Amino acid sequence: MTTTSRRRVLGAASAAGLGTVLTACGAGTAAQPVNARPVIPAANGPVKLTYWTWLKDLQSVCDVWNAQRPDIQVEAVWIGAGNSGGYAKMFAALAAGGGGDIAQVEFQLLPSFLLQNGLVDLSRYGFRDVLDKFRPADISRVSVGDSVFGVPQDTGPMGFFYRRDVFEEIGVSPPATWQEWLDVARQVKESDAARRLEGFNVNDPGNFTSYCMQAGAEWFTTDGNEWVVDLTGEPTRMVAQFMDQAFSEDLFDLSLGAFTAGWYAAAADGRIPSVITGSWGDALVESVGGTEGKWAVAPMPRWPDTGYGSATLGGSTAAVMSTSQHPNEALEFIVWMCTTAEAIDGLIDNSGIGWSPSPDFIGTKRQEPSAFFGGQNYNEEVFVPAAEDQNPDWIWSPIYLEMNDALSTAVRAATSGGTPLADAMAGVQASVIDIMEHKGLNVRSAS
Amino acid sequence: MRGAQRRAPWILLSPFLLLFLLTFLLPVVYAVGQSFTAVDRQGLFGEDGITSSFAGFDNYARALGDPAFVGSIGRVLLFGVVQVPVMIVLVTVLALLLESASSAWPSFFRAAYFLPYGIPGVIASILWSFLYLPGFSPIVAALGKIGLAPDFLGAGTVLWSIANIVTWAYAGYNMLIVIAQLKSIPGEVYEAARVDGAGPLRLAWSVQLPLIRPALVLATVFSIIGTLQLFAEPQVLRSVSPAIDASYTPNFAAFTSAFTYNDLGVAAAQAVLIAVAAFVLSFTFLRIVSRRDS
Repeated sequence: MTTTSRRRVLGAASAAGLGTVLTACGAGTAAQPVNARPVIPAANGPVKLTYWTWLKDLQSVCDVWNAQRPDIQVEAVWIGAGNSGGYAKMFAALAAGGGGDIAQVEFQLLPSFLLQNGLVDLSRYGFRDVLDKFRPADISRVSVGDSVFGVPQDTGPMGFFYRRDVFEEIGVSPPATWQEWLDVARQVKESDAARRLEGFNVNDPGNFTSYCMQAGAEWFTTDGNEWVVDLTGEPTRMVAQFMDQAFSEDLFDLSLGAFTAGWYAAAADGRIPSVITGSWGDALVESVGGTEGKWAVAPMPRWPDTGYGSATLGGSTAAVMSTSQHPNEALEFIVWMCTTAEAIDGLIDNSGIGWSPSPDFIGTKRQEPSAFFGGQNYNEEVFVPAAEDQNPDWIWSPIYLEMNDALSTAVRAATSGGTPLADAMAGVQASVIDIMEHKGLNVRSAS
Repeated sequence: MRGAQRRAPWILLSPFLLLFLLTFLLPVVYAVGQSFTAVDRQGLFGEDGITSSFAGFDNYARALGDPAFVGSIGRVLLFGVVQVPVMIVLVTVLALLLESASSAWPSFFRAAYFLPYGIPGVIASILWSFLYLPGFSPIVAALGKIGLAPDFLGAGTVLWSIANIVTWAYAGYNMLIVIAQLKSIPGEVYEAARVDGAGPLRLAWSVQLPLIRPALVLATVFSIIGTLQLFAEPQVLRSVSPAIDASYTPNFAAFTSAFTYNDLGVAAAQAVLIAVAAFVLSFTFLRIVSRRDS
């Protein structure tokens, strides 16, 4: 009895133990980079494309296209939002040689996909001929030299969304500077011990990164084939000290990252009366139950004597994955989706998409006052200027996710009594450089 | 005829062996190979070429030099030292109670305790995350009414909130293993014990417990392995708990390395280390148990 059961146990033990190894199985690196292979010619017959995206109900927009173009039928495949599993799925598909034709990739993730040779260089398929339909600043963020790796689909100029009713009740107005933000946050906390001006997501401190971008930091620059990293410069130090101040006074609700389930409940009953986020946040704010007419939007607070009026958070591109057999057709659809009025309006109505990449058309709905935001014409008022007042020197690194986790670890320590963020940034920079070196990249620190 | 007889088992086994080879042995070999591989890139992104090279034990050194990964191993060991014994004791008590002569509606309770096992781990974690989340949870609200403010998702508590989910999910399953063994004890053994004057407690301690030992050993080994493989629960709770980082458990760390960081070499090394740890712990436990046998 004992021997048989033990053997069975050992069999099970080895099976289960080895099973964990399977998680790591995948594929190595492609023999030949996708953009060194011959250009794929346009198809002769009708083709079917899939678009991996987390945009809500994108199929409605695809259907408008499908009705006009029986030769190119596009199917929207909904995947989890980028950092919530979408990218993991795409990377796994790339490693396995499968995946969709088109993928939604946020601006900050494009370089990470390049590192996997995961994206088609669209300049090889004629994209340079239609560059005048986009903003030059957006194009520069998706280009490397003459190559273009994604089509700007929506951007995320940031603004200050707030509950006008709660602010009036407390007797505060939207802060114009970050110093004022501290004052308002203190008053909000004093008005009710359970209330905080904002939530902060320790697991995804992208807002901190955007604040540094706004303050004029340039975390990554390139020098020939070498990356130069600067996470300890003066703008970053200033923002980190601001965060430390806010953390030490307990001004953020750290358990309520923006747009998490708990956050919606807190925003609905006024425990969290504001959120600083990309313009796309409007669609999410509108789904806070029972708050119609109570919200308003103000420009983001500014840093004293330096930086820019706004920054970006999120915003995504439509990119052609290296596994696609039909890059010509895919690009044709993407350009239609990102630049024509019917598609932009469709994306706004069905998907609540972010800021339009077209300099000529922000969307019919967005030219008008919004009932949900108390009749404020916030798009023309806040986001049109915010989209223009951006840090033009900011570029994203090819290790965004790793850096974000390293920042998250530093923030977690800073918020639980460990090293202040301002002192931890040197360590974050060291680990960023180490990670990049391990990726086989040339890299050095700026200082 | 004899030749056919000799061939028959292999023919019948071949579907299994083929799948076993393709989906199990080959990936294992591949992963072990991957764990000794490093990548070099030319150009800013590797657009001018990517080459793989033999890395020796570099990936293992990196995995073990990463405080987050080492911390995650320590975390699941702590988890296992507490959660596994608690659950095994609970399982034993439940099984003995349900199999005792005086229990009411044993089959109803058996099914009720087993039910959580039928709920997929991710769904169970989502359900529990709402029971832990202030503003949603009736439990937190009720405790708040009597003046308590528990933080189920804080840095010091969330590990035990996960332990609670795991215990809830697997106690019923392990209980069934023990009950199956209890049912196989012949009636004469009980009769003989009663004739010798054993009461219910004495019966449980001196007759039932020694006889269900193999089932308990099995349940314990499964639980040790399960502990090392914790993944779904922290992955789901991460969206509501700022205390859970992307390397909270060893498996989570390997997943993050592979599919978030695209660092397949380090991910493979981490996975191999987890497998080795599962082997070592399981063998050690069995060695200790069998030494006490002899």
